[in-house]
Amino acid sequence: MARVGVFTCFCGANIADFIDVPQVVEATKKIKGVKVSAEYKYMCSDPGQQMIRDAIIQNRLTSVVVAACSPRMHEKTFRKALSDAGLNPYMLEVANIREHSSWVHQKDKKAATEKASDLIRMAVAKSIANEQLHEISVPVTKRALVIGGGIAGIQAALDIADARIPVTLIERSPSIGGRMAQLDETFPTLDCSQCILTPKMVDVASHPYIELIPYSEVIELDGYVGNYKAKIRKKASYVNFSTCTGCGACTQKCPVKVSNEFNMGIDKRKAIYTPFPQAVPNKPVIDAEHCTMLLKGKCGICAKVCEKGSIDFKMVDEVIEREVGAVVVATGYDLWDPKPYEEYGVGRYKDIITSLEFERMVSASGPTNGLPLRPSDGKVPKNVVFIKCIGSRDEAKGIEYCSKICCMYTAKHAILLHHKVHDSHAYIFYMDIRAAGKGYEEFVKRAQVETAATYLRGRVSKIYKKGDKLIVRGEDAQLGQVVEVVADLVVLATAVIPYKENPPLARLLGISYDKYGYMSEAHPKLRPVETAKAGIFLAGCTQAPKDIPDTVAQASACAAKVCGLFSGDTMKKDPMISTINTENCTGCQNCVTVCPYQAIVTEEIPLGHGSKEMRIVAKINEGVCQGCGSCVAICRSMSINLAGFTDPQIINEIVSI
Amino acid sequence: MITLGLQEKNTFLEAVNKKSGANVLECYQCGKCVSTCPVSGYMDFPPREVMQMIKLGLKEETYMANSMWFCLTCSACSGRCPREIDIPAVMEGIRHLAIEENYHSQDKKVKEITRFHEIFLDMIKRYGRNYELRMMAEFNIRTRNLFKDMHLAPKALLKGKITLGHESTKSAKAIQKMYKLAEKLEKNK
Repeated sequence: MARVGVFTCFCGANIADFIDVPQVVEATKKIKGVKVSAEYKYMCSDPGQQMIRDAIIQNRLTSVVVAACSPRMHEKTFRKALSDAGLNPYMLEVANIREHSSWVHQKDKKAATEKASDLIRMAVAKSIANEQLHEISVPVTKRALVIGGGIAGIQAALDIADARIPVTLIERSPSIGGRMAQLDETFPTLDCSQCILTPKMVDVASHPYIELIPYSEVIELDGYVGNYKAKIRKKASYVNFSTCTGCGACTQKCPVKVSNEFNMGIDKRKAIYTPFPQAVPNKPVIDAEHCTMLLKGKCGICAKVCEKGSIDFKMVDEVIEREVGAVVVATGYDLWDPKPYEEYGVGRYKDIITSLEFERMVSASGPTNGLPLRPSDGKVPKNVVFIKCIGSRDEAKGIEYCSKICCMYTAKHAILLHHKVHDSHAYIFYMDIRAAGKGYEEFVKRAQVETAATYLRGRVSKIYKKGDKLIVRGEDAQLGQVVEVVADLVVLATAVIPYKENPPLARLLGISYDKYGYMSEAHPKLRPVETAKAGIFLAGCTQAPKDIPDTVAQASACAAKVCGLFSGDTMKKDPMISTINTENCTGCQNCVTVCPYQAIVTEEIPLGHGSKEMRIVAKINEGVCQGCGSCVAICRSMSINLAGFTDPQIINEIVSI
Repeated sequence: MITLGLQEKNTFLEAVNKKSGANVLECYQCGKCVSTCPVSGYMDFPPREVMQMIKLGLKEETYMANSMWFCLTCSACSGRCPREIDIPAVMEGIRHLAIEENYHSQDKKVKEITRFHEIFLDMIKRYGRNYELRMMAEFNIRTRNLFKDMHLAPKALLKGKITLGHESTKSAKAIQKMYKLAEKLEKNK
């Protein structure tokens, strides 16, 4: 015989103002099976919970209904109260009379009260059919996979590894370092980017708990939280890293010159190359697209000069497998191509460059030895115009959002320009100056006051050539007048866009991405590092444009999440998941198609008892199933049961109203 | 239209900063000065725009505008400026620079204001203090508007705002000495 306790909450005035709670309590007492019906101002408070616990013990309740706010808020709180009183925590039902009644029917108290009573009646009916459920234990593989070796991936890998958890760090390019390695100095402190990054890169390479696999990419991820299986393709580098000493003889002698992507194509690299001098690992790779030996079978000079015989032209891609419990995605960002800005003459005028090209030029280790030079004639520019929001906040040509970092790096560029060329002058066209961050506003002030950069509020309308100068035309909104700046060099602060391979990678990992291609977090405010898929986390610009401090913070947050996940040998999981009744299952596999978590696979079982013939049935992976119920709805043979939402429970609910 | 980038250096900005002791570059164009200023509505360019013009090196436009002459140096702007710029000092500075560099606005109001300043200083120099009636008369004569504000005279007399007699001060001599010293200092600059 069911003995249900119903506890109705006032939620201060949130419920009590719009619902006649005493009336609801009275109505509830009449429901069949209800033993106790009580009310309290705040059911979630300690005295409120105590009330529930006492009632359970005194009245030997078999199930509990709490009529209060959304189960998203306090379901866990009340489940704990049940289990404290010796009742199975899953004997709880929450009737959401706040979000579903009082908040949405504020103008009609009578109807709201009636609806609340109905909701409670349904919950009571459902709870009577509740079954005792127990948390599921899932084993955990304590190894993390970090995808991307930029500052986000590096930080996440180091933090996880420092907790003595093995990490596999994979990086697509031949060296870790990412975008940060390309930067000269960093705002707002003007720390040399390489100087603060390279120690971390070296730490990654030498850390006993980090397995660094450069020049590789993930091609498959199977499994579920705590038990993923990743397939990683190690691209053929044609250099045997174990014998290569990194002496550099091969790169010196290689006759093939290729545009150097690390320096934004300002100079050339060889077909066998290390991306930059501080590369980790400091071993060269052969660019198969350009190497004449690989393309035409001629040359092979690198192999001849290599004393260790490390060059192996027969090397092929290798696929390796790693079992990991968690994945950190840190793929980073790309920069928007400003080609659509035809009115600026992008592509026509050589002296219009992008901010990352400027960054490489002012970098001490860059292609111009730290001097910004005009690409057209190699002269040092005097007047440099920086234009912000190129592609950012531009719905017509680029993207809607603000790229967040351009205001700061443009201020930095103005300061760096002044450091490198003392008699130069920076003009900055801006729409807003967004300097929200520790020391950021002060940094912008430094650019304005100490460096005397001229800030002009307005978007540039066009750029045209006059002699060897570029005339940049825009408005100075402060004076309401059109301004033309005679410039030697124009630098475009191009928008931050997601790494171009994000969507295919997201599909491969089974996580979602937004309309721009950024990986989606589970909750924009409260779960910013998790994805909707348990055990996969996001760090850095893979989620949204970010500066270095924010990226590092998010990477460390990922590490904390991973460490939390790995804190026990098994993981506890909600038991409200689907199970298949293989007796009835026809093997139609509709459920496999609809499952948004790829939690359903198929298996072969004997046709009958002891039979040798086999038939196909669906199989639910307990670790992956999130209990959404899609499979239950689509199953034609009613062979799927979702614990906590069984057919008797649902039918009880429907019958009760 | 303004054309920038032709000058090697913004000498105007440097001169204004030197003369005023303020740093115009500190201005971040918030406009608090404009909404504070009691006379900004009468200016060709309100204080914020003057600051921007100096930053852009628009010397002639700044000198020929009436803004600096309309400034009352009441310091309401600088009192509220979040960047603590001494805006009246900047206004004062550009007045001096304009006169030094021989920029004279043909604006009638500006002419009257400059005339007023001259007569006032002359009055102090001569008598050691202001002699209102004489000042008014002289101003009216020199601006060729004899009967301007004449109707206010009886009221002002009754209230003691102006007096018929001439009140001299004992320290007129000392003030004259100050004037000489200041002129000497100005020359040696």
